[in-house]
Amino acid sequence: MLRITGGKVYDPANGIDGVVKDISISDGRIVSAVDGGRVIDASGMIVFPGGVDIHTHVAGAALNFARAMTPENHRQAKAFMHTPERRAGLGGQTPTTFATGYLYAGMGYTTVIEAAVPVLSAKHTHEELRDTPIVDKGCCVLMANNEIVLDLLEAGEVERAKDVVAWLIWAAKGYGVKAVNPGGVTAWKWGKDAKILSEPVVGYSKVTPASIISSLAQIVDQLGLPHPLHLHCNNLGVPGNFATTLETMKVLEGSRAHMAHLQFHSYGGDDWHTMRSEAVKIAEYFNAHPNLTCDAGAILFGNAVTITADGPWQHLLHQLTGKKWGNLDVENETGCGIVPYTYKGSNLVNAVQWAVGLELLLLIDDPWRIFLTTDHPNGACFWRYPEIIHLLMNADVRRERVKTLPAKAQGRTTLADLDREYTLLDIATITSAGPARALGLSNKGHLGVGADADLAIYNEKPDGEFLFRYPRYVIKAGEIVVEEGEIRNMNEGREYVVQPAYDPSIEEYLRPVFQQYYTMSFENYPVELERLERAEVRQLDESR
Amino acid sequence: MGGKVTCTLGEIKNRADFIVYWGGNPAECHPRHFTKYTLTQKGKFVPNGRKDRTMVLVDIRETPSARAADIFLQIKPGKDFEILSTLRALVKGQRVNEELVAETGLTMEQLRDLVERMKQARFGVIFFGMGLSMTRGKHMNSAAVLTLAAELNAFTKFVSMPMRGHGNVTGSDMVMRWTTGYPFGVSLCRGYPRFNPGEFSTVDLLVRGDVDAALVLGADPGATMPQPGIDHLALIPTIVLDPKVTHTSRLARVHITTAATGISAPGTVYRMDEIPLPLRPALVSPYPTDEEVIRRIHEAIAKKPAWAQRPEAMTPTN
Repeated sequence: MLRITGGKVYDPANGIDGVVKDISISDGRIVSAVDGGRVIDASGMIVFPGGVDIHTHVAGAALNFARAMTPENHRQAKAFMHTPERRAGLGGQTPTTFATGYLYAGMGYTTVIEAAVPVLSAKHTHEELRDTPIVDKGCCVLMANNEIVLDLLEAGEVERAKDVVAWLIWAAKGYGVKAVNPGGVTAWKWGKDAKILSEPVVGYSKVTPASIISSLAQIVDQLGLPHPLHLHCNNLGVPGNFATTLETMKVLEGSRAHMAHLQFHSYGGDDWHTMRSEAVKIAEYFNAHPNLTCDAGAILFGNAVTITADGPWQHLLHQLTGKKWGNLDVENETGCGIVPYTYKGSNLVNAVQWAVGLELLLLIDDPWRIFLTTDHPNGACFWRYPEIIHLLMNADVRRERVKTLPAKAQGRTTLADLDREYTLLDIATITSAGPARALGLSNKGHLGVGADADLAIYNEKPDGEFLFRYPRYVIKAGEIVVEEGEIRNMNEGREYVVQPAYDPSIEEYLRPVFQQYYTMSFENYPVELERLERAEVRQLDESR
Repeated sequence: MGGKVTCTLGEIKNRADFIVYWGGNPAECHPRHFTKYTLTQKGKFVPNGRKDRTMVLVDIRETPSARAADIFLQIKPGKDFEILSTLRALVKGQRVNEELVAETGLTMEQLRDLVERMKQARFGVIFFGMGLSMTRGKHMNSAAVLTLAAELNAFTKFVSMPMRGHGNVTGSDMVMRWTTGYPFGVSLCRGYPRFNPGEFSTVDLLVRGDVDAALVLGADPGATMPQPGIDHLALIPTIVLDPKVTHTSRLARVHITTAATGISAPGTVYRMDEIPLPLRPALVSPYPTDEEVIRRIHEAIAKKPAWAQRPEAMTPTN
């Protein structure tokens, strides 16, 4: 039992904006009152619901590939010493699993969603998530280039495709459905891409990126998944791609969808020299369409490692930069590409990218529909979120930073004209309440009675430069996990899994197709539920 | 250049029409590679199986694998790097030194033909074995072959993959990577992971005599290490976990017999393409599993006082 007294509470879901109130915790949940137990005096502090990262890459084959590729980064990374309570590890751009848990918790985040999981290597992803302490976890399963699904869409068998999608989510022990460059990764298997939404995908005559997007969004809604289709649009990172993004959002009308790392999809111009921000147009359309949510995918200057299922884009980035290139195509399902990258403030393209992320966060007016991410480790590392929060809360600081950008870049963004400053309540919304709601995690992201007791307590006046970098306390499932900057308790997180309803006879259809195209036994393909520790399975019924 | 352009084995099965094995003898060392993944399987986009595929073998001698190949290129020992560099130059249309090519055992015509075929392939792959990666040039050879495959992607789809074997070496790699950031050659002596192959790799530590105790799991260094390393293992307290008697267990102070993973113990094994496969035991063993033994050792050690009393004092400043 635990009671927190005297802190100013920011709980957007319950309309509480900086009210001094007590919070009582018992058995891992927030309760109306407790009798006895420890009391934390939070006078002079602010109390937030624990952070929820809706889109990050912290586990799995692609990230582990990136770790192996970048030993030179690890040498500069923060080292985590082995102690009786804590495992050793490394921070940096691609933190090791144990360090990932410590770094997220050490920033006040208590739930993370790994955003790109192939079914074929999902066992591996869950092994890594099991070794990621403290935070609660979930996975989005890659579907938009799954050739069994695409073949069914080509044949017009949408009902069967729906059963296959449901079966695959459960096979991967996933929480949501991810679509990456729909059709483009399949085309990449022949060294091609899918750049035009209405053109058939390489190897197909009817299936187009647009038809994949709309079919998957509808299937996800019909299956009643708590989180809508999680979509990485076509033409990521390319000048002029805002047109593709607008077209994609039109295709999504009538369905729910989450637009991942929107910053990378909001560029104008015809080439790298004329690239400009089109955040205004994207935000305008987005604001008028409440069926959509998004995350920022903001970038910060400095070192990053780009990791994405978008293989063709990574080949282009490798050719542009001459940096190392990793590529891993996954049979029948997806692929991934890895290129280490440094964002420079003096570079025109990077300067525009930096501005676009902030512009979107400021121009999209409903904080319940845009969430703080950097598409870790693509735009910047997750542990740099406090730097973005600082920029969002201070218009003057932003303007000073804009002045340091190349003169050409300054004219290609409206960032200096934006006066909006985020309030603490807005910050609580984009880091916790909003993403929790978009994920359909009703016990997360708020501090009402019955919620999971995940919260972060910060000094109202920061010690250092950034308000949210060093919480005084972090409480996860009712346990104090961080106290005075130290990991105090190795609370193990849960994994959220959904089990959508499907016709069990779909296995009779899948088995022969699988045996023909894959290289392992059908029985070895699904992730065994026992492989997950502390899985929390949500069964979805037929009420579609 | 660095990195690796690769894929899972099913991609090879479904798409590859041009397959190169370099410095390996899969017919004898990976006997099911041809039939399960690369040559005889009928794939989604190579419906006629073997007829739709071309296989090239590059090696210093004519092994039984040569019988499976359409083209066998016999090269002189130690000339892999020169040939790979020449191929990279030809792929890019650069000039090459024909006198140096003459020393490799291959002709310019053979190399030009190979480059042409690689560029014409719809989906090409180079598998490389220890004949390339563990001979003169070592990691430079691996880097050259990885780079060649990567650069061919400017013309067509091309990938490469090391032919790994020796039990679950890939699985060990994977776990090391997610727990320490590095695949092998990791030292935890300062309480956090450091990486330096040549300094911290097992063979170097043993040969230098830097180790004062050894725990051997899933390996038989007594059969494969250089003699000074083996001598050192015999000198120090060596503990072996193995289902059977091995060269290492004979020289060890302690041999704990464990259940054989995959036969009488469950587990996970990683294929050479880093895809995990579950192992389900068919038999019951009277012996404990490796995991159980390690867990019990770990529990016993955890009861001892921590070796570093003030670890913060040793944390690097950045």
